[in-house]
Amino acid sequence: MPKLIQAEDVVTNFYTYEGVVKALNKVGLVVDHGATFGLVGESGCGKSVMVRSMMRIVQEPGQIEGGKVVLFFNGDQQQEAVDLLQQSEAYMEDLRGNHISMIFQEPNAALNPIMSIGDQISESFLFHRKKEMSKKILEDLSADDCRVFLPLKKLQQTLYTIAADNPKSFILIICSKIPILSLWQRRLKREALQRSIDIIRKLSISNPSETVHRYPHNLSGGMKQRIVIAIALACHPMLLIADEATSNLDVTIQAQILELLKDLKKTEIASILLITHDLGIVAETCDRVGVMYAGNLCEVADVEKLFQNPQHPYTKALLESVPKFSQEGRLRSIDGAVPNLVSPPSGCRFHPRCSHAMEICKQTFPEEIEIEENHMVACHLYVK
Amino acid sequence: MLAFITRRFLFMFVVVFGVSVLIFSILMTFSPERRAAVYVRSPQQAQNLPQLVESLGLNDPFYIQYFRWVKELTHFNLGYSVVAARPVWDAFKSFLPVTLELNLYSVPIMIIVGIWLGTISGIYHDTYIDHITRIFAIIFWSLPTFLFALILLMIFYGYFEVFSPGIISDAYSVYIHDNPDKYTQYTHLLTIDGILNGRFDIAWDAAKHLFLPVVTQVMVIIALLLRVMRSSMIEETSKDYIMTARAKGADKKTINFKHARKNALIPVVTVAGWLAAFSMSGSIEVEVIFTRQGLGWWLANAAIQLDIPVIMAMCMFMGIIIVTANLAVDILYAYIDPRIRLS
Ligand SMILES: Nc1ncnc2c1ncn2[C@@H]1O[C@H](COP(=O)(O)OP(=O)(O)OP(=O)(O)O)[C@@H](O)[C@H]1O
Ligand SMILES: [Mg+2]
Repeated sequence: MPKLIQAEDVVTNFYTYEGVVKALNKVGLVVDHGATFGLVGESGCGKSVMVRSMMRIVQEPGQIEGGKVVLFFNGDQQQEAVDLLQQSEAYMEDLRGNHISMIFQEPNAALNPIMSIGDQISESFLFHRKKEMSKKILEDLSADDCRVFLPLKKLQQTLYTIAADNPKSFILIICSKIPILSLWQRRLKREALQRSIDIIRKLSISNPSETVHRYPHNLSGGMKQRIVIAIALACHPMLLIADEATSNLDVTIQAQILELLKDLKKTEIASILLITHDLGIVAETCDRVGVMYAGNLCEVADVEKLFQNPQHPYTKALLESVPKFSQEGRLRSIDGAVPNLVSPPSGCRFHPRCSHAMEICKQTFPEEIEIEENHMVACHLYVK
Repeated sequence: MLAFITRRFLFMFVVVFGVSVLIFSILMTFSPERRAAVYVRSPQQAQNLPQLVESLGLNDPFYIQYFRWVKELTHFNLGYSVVAARPVWDAFKSFLPVTLELNLYSVPIMIIVGIWLGTISGIYHDTYIDHITRIFAIIFWSLPTFLFALILLMIFYGYFEVFSPGIISDAYSVYIHDNPDKYTQYTHLLTIDGILNGRFDIAWDAAKHLFLPVVTQVMVIIALLLRVMRSSMIEETSKDYIMTARAKGADKKTINFKHARKNALIPVVTVAGWLAAFSMSGSIEVEVIFTRQGLGWWLANAAIQLDIPVIMAMCMFMGIIIVTANLAVDILYAYIDPRIRLS
């Protein structure tokens, strides 16, 4: 499968009063076109920071300090590869929500409480689909059955022609600021709202044309999460990042949302990067899995391989800590605590908790090696 | 929305009633003789104090006296002000425009500038812009108003002789008083009347007299609003929905001004409403120091001379202003926040 996005050696630090939190220590991962990639690991290991770094939306005081995030627009062809970390902020604004979108853990907090659902979804279209929508409006305007007062029609046609050509045109910005003239955007907003209704209809929300006029506090948690998904899906992104999108929902809703994501992957989006704590979800939905520990990626493999043949001691421990029906006696947990990322352990960050720790683990950071096809491990137990 | 406003409006009357009972109860803690003394104008009357108490019904039960007082109130019969040497209502009508004019300029300035500076300071928090505004805020917040006013007077009146205390220069004051046919007092606000009469020199003179009082009144409140707005803005920009907006592809301007600021305004609206109400109900320090004969000046003098009818009337007035401001805040709240609208 061709690659869709490839992150290499990403380093992200948070400059806090307690010191520098070294949240990501050269993490790399590859998501293939059409694949579902699962990212697992204990709380605080840097999963969210990793995906936010890939979209360049790390919150303050975080700083992405190194590495590459290469997005392949057209399969694997090198000429269409773009290193996102080198691009301007304006380029990223264009890209976010358009080619890569994200959905979040806490649906209750992820929506703006004082903006209507319709407005929040419309924003996606207004940011990224202005050109296309303007063209459609122009067609509507020139249709015979369109009855608008003629000079007004001329004015609208002029403005929408400009918008179809260059939505960020200076004239349009000025027009949007002048009270009465700013009404020209009405058709655009109406079109965006119509598209919002269409998209939430696809997510099987009942009564979409009424829902768009409601506010987040009127909706249930599962419903809000669907809206968050609708916002992310609005512009048919190539990659959807789901940061624990189901963790805070109850089990039935969780299943519905996962089912929805699976369906959407067939029809709407190319790839999904799924962050979760739940290894069951990973087993069910993902093709490939990455295991993170304290700001490092320790192991990446296809799902079956990882579950059947885990190699990294941390992965083994993680899999053993999952409760099973057949299990007798106590549940195994991993000894020790997650390290403080302000002053992480030297060498391999897992060595203080690792039962196989050797002298070299304390000194050098293990290189990632491919121990079998498509199965990478970063551990000194294995040598090339 | 309409039901909401109606409900709030009715509630306002209940509160005003409560305020009036409270004020009247405080008045009733004075002995009947003490209250009768207010009506005494000559030595003979003073000897007949018991009869006066009797004739005014000051020994009657509380509720009868209260209803009598309310009845008088509805006829704008608020008693006689010793300080102003006029009936309270007449005096009130002449002092009100002075205070109104001061607040007409200071309230919008303090709200707009306070919120604007707070927004900027919140967006650029921990940068030098933020440090400068914060130093400014701390200085003005901790500097007593009277001291700041005196410093301003010292510099601009004492040293540069540009802005003087008072309301308007004497010559103009006499002119306005003597020429009611040439100079109409439409609003009794000097700056506005000046413009309406085409006498820009009068308007300019009044504006010059307003400058220092407005600056004094505005500074402290801007400092306060700025701090509230700044922290509210910082809090909002770290919320999850901001992350959603960023992931959607929103630019910095949309995030800060469309998403964060509107949410950040919710707590600020309350504070701003209260501050506006307080400064409306008489800016005592400012009016006393700049000898502007407005409500605050009147109240200060009435308090010194125990001019009870004035104090009562002003308490009632403040109550009404604050209740009205509350209503305005509630409506504004409902306008900004859909969660309030329905509950
Ligand atoms: N705003 C921040 N300021 C300081 N440190 C932060 C900030 N955000 C994250 N970190 C640090 O980065 C590390 C990784 O955090 P991250 O949120 O990515 O964890 P996570 O794997 O997503 O955990 P969870 O499963 O709980 O979501 C944490 O150790 C945390 O201390
Ligand atoms: Mg997380």
